Amino acid sequence: MKAKESESKTYLGIPLYRPKVAFFEFSSCEGCQLQIINNENTLLDFLSLVEVVNFREAMTEKSDDYEIAFVEGSITRNDEAERLKKIRKNAKILVALGSCACFGGVNQLKNRFNNIEWVKKQVYGKHPIDTAPVRALEEVVNVDLRIYGCPIKKEEVEKIVLHVVLGKSIDIPKYPVCMECKANENICLFDLGEPCLGPITRAGCDSWCPNNNAGCWGCRGPAEDANVGYMKKIMKEKGFSEKTILERLDCFGGFAQFPELKKKGKH
Amino acid sequence: MIFRIFEKKELKNLFEILAAHNKVVGPVEIGKDKQCNPIYAFTEVSDFNSIKLDYTTTKLPAKRYFLPFHEDLSTFRIKDNNWQKTIDYNADRPLIFFGLHPCDINALNKLDKVLLHSVFPMPYYVAKRKNMFIIGIDCVPQPFCFCRSMGSDTALHGFDMFITNLGTRYFVEILTDTAYNFLKNIKTEEPKEKDHILYMKSAAERNKKFTAKVDTTDLAKILDMEFQSDVWKQWGDKCLACGTCANVCPTCYCYGVEETVDINLKSARKTKMLHSCNLIDFAEVAGGHNFRPERHSRLKYRYYHKHRGFVEAFEESLCVGCGRCGESCLAGIKVPEVIASVRGGKKR
Amino acid sequence: MKPELKFVDIISQQPKMQKRKNDLSSFEYTYRAEITSMYQLTDMETLYRIQIVNPEERRRFAFIPGQFLMLEIPGIGEAPFSISSSPSIHGEVELCIRKAGNLTNFLSKVGRGAIVGIRGPFGTGFPMEEMHGQNILLIAGGLGLVPLRSPIAYVQENRSHFREVNIVYGTKSPQHLLFTYQYDVWIKDDINLNIIVEKADPSWIGSVGMLTDTLMKILEGRDNEFYHNTYAIVCGPPVMFKFVCNMLNKFNIPMQKMFVSLERRMHCGMGKCCRCNVGSTYTCLKGPVFDYWTVMNLKEAI
Repeated sequence: MKAKESESKTYLGIPLYRPKVAFFEFSSCEGCQLQIINNENTLLDFLSLVEVVNFREAMTEKSDDYEIAFVEGSITRNDEAERLKKIRKNAKILVALGSCACFGGVNQLKNRFNNIEWVKKQVYGKHPIDTAPVRALEEVVNVDLRIYGCPIKKEEVEKIVLHVVLGKSIDIPKYPVCMECKANENICLFDLGEPCLGPITRAGCDSWCPNNNAGCWGCRGPAEDANVGYMKKIMKEKGFSEKTILERLDCFGGFAQFPELKKKGKH
Repeated sequence: MIFRIFEKKELKNLFEILAAHNKVVGPVEIGKDKQCNPIYAFTEVSDFNSIKLDYTTTKLPAKRYFLPFHEDLSTFRIKDNNWQKTIDYNADRPLIFFGLHPCDINALNKLDKVLLHSVFPMPYYVAKRKNMFIIGIDCVPQPFCFCRSMGSDTALHGFDMFITNLGTRYFVEILTDTAYNFLKNIKTEEPKEKDHILYMKSAAERNKKFTAKVDTTDLAKILDMEFQSDVWKQWGDKCLACGTCANVCPTCYCYGVEETVDINLKSARKTKMLHSCNLIDFAEVAGGHNFRPERHSRLKYRYYHKHRGFVEAFEESLCVGCGRCGESCLAGIKVPEVIASVRGGKKR
Repeated sequence: MKPELKFVDIISQQPKMQKRKNDLSSFEYTYRAEITSMYQLTDMETLYRIQIVNPEERRRFAFIPGQFLMLEIPGIGEAPFSISSSPSIHGEVELCIRKAGNLTNFLSKVGRGAIVGIRGPFGTGFPMEEMHGQNILLIAGGLGLVPLRSPIAYVQENRSHFREVNIVYGTKSPQHLLFTYQYDVWIKDDINLNIIVEKADPSWIGSVGMLTDTLMKILEGRDNEFYHNTYAIVCGPPVMFKFVCNMLNKFNIPMQKMFVSLERRMHCGMGKCCRCNVGSTYTCLKGPVFDYWTVMNLKEAI
C-alpha cells in the first residue's frame, strides 16, 4: 500500500506539500474505505499525493503521526467517543467520511426509538452489548470536512484530496441530484411512479441510483436550500404514503434537522 | 420557397440513403410512464422503424447535440512551471436531425441570435450548429403546448426541409440546396392545387388543437412593474430549486466554468457546465456573497431573462412555448400559470 | 451525387482579418502573460504587474479605463479583474488582487516570472474623452480605488484636458489605504486628494468620518457652472455609490455624467454564460461601467 517515497510533487512549479493521512473507522460497514482502495486506475496517483500512515483495511503499519484523518462510521459507544477525541487531537484536518460519519447513517435509525433498552432487547436478545444513541462525528468533535454518500464516491474523495494538496477550496455541489440526473438523461423516476429524493438531496454522486433506475434515498443529505416541506407535499400528492416518505427521509439521518421529521416511533 | 410532395413510403428510402452516409438523430421511444404513455427521447438512430415520427414531445430537447451538459472548453498540458493550452470545439462530423418539431427549430433560431449572430459568437455552439441538417416535421399540439402564444408554432427558417403529414403523402418545404439535392434520391412530385388545399386544411385542423395560452401583451413592461409582486414569493415557496426547468428547456444556455487539475498533475481542463439560474449558487461571487439567495428571486430572474431581457435585446422572447419545463416540474410550476398570476396581481 | 454531408470546418471558414468581437477563435484564446513584478499593498491586497509575452500581441493589446480582463491559471481557475493601470501602456497591466478564492490564493504562491493566461479586455469603460474640458470627481470607497486608478492615470497623463480634479477616497482605517506611495505624485499633478477614514489610529492626522462628509464639503457652495460641468466616477460597494450618486443628484449633476462600475462574477466575459446578469442585463457587455441613469433602471443593481 505504500507508494514510493518519491520526490515531492509540484504543480506549475509550486511544490506541493504531501500530507500524512490516516484512515479510521467506527460503527460502519467500512465500505467507504473499500471504495478508495477499489479505485485501481488512479490509486497510484492518489497515493503519490499523500502519505498513508494508517489504513487498517489496506496495511499493517500504524502511526499516530498524521495531519489528515479520514474517519468513517458513527459513534455508538462511549469508548468510541474517547477514541475519536484522540484522533481529533492528533489531526489537523478531520474528515467525516461517508453518511455514517456525517449524519449517523443507517445506524441512526435506532434513534427514532425512545427506549434504548427495548432496542437492545430486540436486536441483541440474550447477548446485550454496550450501545448508546447513535451520534454523527460532529456531535462529539469538530469536523473540518464532510464527504457525503453511502458509500462515498471515490472520484469525489480524490478531488477533495487533490484540492487540499493544491490549496483549492472544496466545492461540493450545493444543488440537488436532479441536476446530474437530467444531464445523464434519465427518465424521471416520478414518471415511472417511483419515489425519489433527488430534488432535495445534495448532488455529487452523479445520480448514481437514478442511473440504475432506483429512486434516490437521500444518502448525501439535503442540498443547500432544499425545499423539504414542499417536496413532502408533492410526494403525498403523487400518492406516496407518509410512511414511504419518512422511511426515505429518515434512512441516512441527513434530513434530521428538518421539522418535517420530528416524529418518533412508538417505542 | 420550393415545395414538393411524396408518397409516405419514400421517407423510409430517404432515411436509408441518408443514414448510409451520415449519423442521424431522431425521436425514439425509450420507455413508458406509469400511465403507459410512451416516453420519447432524441437519440442516434440507424433503423427507420425505431423513429417515432408521430411523437408527442420528448422529455429533453436534442440539446446535448448542440449544448452539451458538460463540455471541455480547453485542456492543458502541464510541464514543470509551464503550460500549453489546447482548444477543441468538440464537433467532428455533421448530424442529420430527422423529425424536429417547429418549437425545437425555433429554439435553435433563438439560440443563434445570442450564440451565433451577436458579438463574441460561441465557437463551441457554432461548430455544432453549422453541422446540423434539419428535417422538420409538423406536430399534434398537446394540452401543455403554448407555442402559438410565443409565435413558435410554425418554423419559417432554421431547417433544411420541413415535412407535413397529409394522410398518405408528405408535403415538403425545401429551404436549402442540400435538401433539394438529397430529395433527388427519392420520388417526389410538384404539388398540385388540390395538395395546397389539403395542406391548408391540415394546418387549420392543427390550429384548432391549441388550448394552452399565454397573454404576452405588454409582458416585458408588466414584469418590470410587478418586480416586487407577492406572487413571486408564492411560486418561490413551491420551487424545489432543482434546475430541471433549465435542463429540459431547449433555449436555456446559461453555464458555469470550472477548472480542474487531473490527479496525475500532468494535465488540466477547463469545463463548461450548463447551470440553471434556479440553483442556489447561480449568482454567488468570490468571497461568498449571493445576489439571489432566495428561491423566489431566482425563479423571478428566470422569467425576467426569458420574457423581458431577451425581448429587450432581440425583440422576441427566449421561450418557444414547448411546455417541457411545466411538464417536468414536480412542483407544477407552469409558464402559463406563472405569467397569468403575475398579470393578475396578487390573486392566484 | 452521394448524399453525404460535408463537415463544415468553422475554423478554416474564418476570414483572416477579423475584429476580435466577431472572431470565433478569439473566444477561448488566452494570451500567455508573465508576472513581472508583485508588490504587497496591504495585508490583503497585492499589486501584480503582468505583461503579455508575445511582442506582437503586446502591441495590439489596448484597453480603456474601467475595462476588465479574465485572468487564468490552468486547472486552478479563471476570474475577472478590473485593470488598474494606465491605458497608455499596451500589453502590460497592473491588477490589484485580494486573496479571496482559488485563483487568488494560488497566485499568492507563484513568483515573478510565472506564466498566466489573460483574455480580454472586456466590457465598457469610462468615457474619458467625453470628459475633456470638465471638472472630475473621482470617488472611491474601499477597494473601489482599484478600478479608479486607471482613470486617475489617464487624468495625470492628460492633465491639461481637465479642469478641477478631485479624488475623494474613504476607507475603514488607515491600514486599508491602497497606493499610498502614489499620493504625493497625484497632488503634484494638481489633483485634490481628499482622504477620509472611518476609524483613525494614533498616527492618523487626516479626516475621520464618512466619505459623504468630505464630498459634501467639496460640493457645497459651488455655482451651477461647476455642477453642470462636472463628471463623477464612483467606485465602491453598492450602498456607497447609491448614497454618493443621490447626493450628486441633489446638486444637479446630471445622472448621465455619473459613472459607476458594477461588480459581478463573470464566467465568460462575452455575454454568454449569464452569470453576471443584473436583472437581464449582461454586466460584462453593457457594463461593468454604467451611467447612473442606466443603473437606476436596472432591477437588482442596488
